[in-house]
Order: sequence, then C-alpha cells, then structure tokens
Amino acid sequence: MNVGEIVFLFIILATMCGAAMAVFSASIVYALVGLVVAMFGVAGLYIYLNSPFLAMMQILIYVGAITVLIAFAIMLAGPLYRRPSEWTTPGKFSVALGVALISLFLFVRFVVETFPKYGAPHFIMGTKDIGLAFVNELLLPFELISLLIVVGILGAIMLAIFSRGRR
Amino acid sequence: MSFLLYNYLHIYLFVALFLLFCGIAGVLYRRTLIGMLVSMELIMNGAGLNLAAFNRFVSPDNASGLAFTLIIMGIAAVEAALALSLIILIFRKYSHIEGGNLEEMKD
Repeated sequence: MNVGEIVFLFIILATMCGAAMAVFSASIVYALVGLVVAMFGVAGLYIYLNSPFLAMMQILIYVGAITVLIAFAIMLAGPLYRRPSEWTTPGKFSVALGVALISLFLFVRFVVETFPKYGAPHFIMGTKDIGLAFVNELLLPFELISLLIVVGILGAIMLAIFSRGRR
Repeated sequence: MSFLLYNYLHIYLFVALFLLFCGIAGVLYRRTLIGMLVSMELIMNGAGLNLAAFNRFVSPDNASGLAFTLIIMGIAAVEAALALSLIILIFRKYSHIEGGNLEEMKD
C-alpha cells in the first residue's frame, strides 16, 4: 500500500464522514460544515479520476458558491436557538430502507458481474477535450444550461422583489 | 501491474451510492427546508461522481461524462439559488421553515 492509496482511503473516509455529518448532526451549521467536507472529498476523488478541472470546478461552484448561499440562508432564515426536533414516520423509514436494500442488491449484482472487466484504461481527457465536447456535440445542452441559469436568476430576483411578507 | 485501489470503478460507485443513501435519508429525516436542501446537494454530488467515474473507466475516449458533470453542477447552483429564495420567502411569510406544516403557497 503506497502513499497514494493511503491518501485515497483518507479522502473516502472524509467524504463518508462528511456526508453522515451533513445528514445526522443536530445543528444545521454543523450539517453545513459536513457538506463542505463531503464536497472537498468528492473534489479529491475527481483528482483521482484524472480530471483536475472538475475538481477545481467542484471547489469553485459547490464550496465557493452554494455553501456560501446556504450559509446566508441560514443566517437570514434560521432561528438557530429554536431547533426543531427531527421526525420520521414508519412509512418513511420503510421506504428509505426499501430503496437502500434494492440499490445495494443491484450494486452487489453489478460488482459481481463486472469486477474483472473494467480495469484502468488509459485516460487523457483534459480541459481541452471537455471544451471541444461542449462546442461540438453538446452544444444544445450547453446553451440550454445557460438559458436555465438566466431564468433561474431572474426568477429568484422576481421572488425577492415582488414578495410582501407579513412579519 | 500491481493492485492499486484507486484504479477500480466500484469503489467510486460505492462512495456515490453512500452519498445517495445519505441524501435520501436526509430528505426524509430533516424537518427544516435548509436541511433538505443540503441533502439534495449530497444526491447531486453522488450523481456527478457516478458520471465522472463511468466516463473514466468505461468509455475513456470521449469527455461527455465530464461535460455532463459540469452541467449537473450548473443545475445544482440554479436549484440552490431558487430554493433558497423560496425558503426566505416562506420564512418571511410564516416565520418558520419547517417542512411538515407548510400547507398553502398562495399569494
């Protein structure tokens, strides 16, 4: 076991602990910290997948934008001193358990069937190839995502301007 | 070639599956809308990790999976912005953001 594998295991452990902390911690601020840890872990996994551009974008968009946005929402809307008690019903619990078991069964089937098949092929797709894919065969999704972002921002601004709340 | 742990597809898929489970459990377990939004972000992270891993191991001669991971990031950003504006709107109207007893969204 070399250094790369040790770092890889540490990254996986950090991702899993961060995800569990984001879901099951009592305070919403700690949940946000766990989400940041999980996102940094996923960025490290992108580096291990030979795509450092995705890792940079992950840190820039998720950690830099979305987390700050959620932090602002917590500060604006969260009465942190009044923690609501979490709730779960037997129906919801059974649905979650069913989804987990079915997914785990399919995952184990997939592992058993394909374990020796996919090794590690040579992978040299860099930032240039992603850009070429965006302007060649993925031009319509690229334009649609820009349109979606514009419409989303306009919708958020309209919601903020034309809402009259009562205190 | 020696056995390297990060050269196999399944461990990435396992991490993505764990993120998906945590996200589903959080959407069902959390009571506040912000907690549900954090869990949704976990689900989207898992989906992006799946796409990047399949692109790297199964079809290494194009970059469509990486491009769609970037598209997922954009969709997640838009979704977070809209959901947070709605959350702040709901907080202004009802003074709480608990998801269980929101019943009307009219005017």
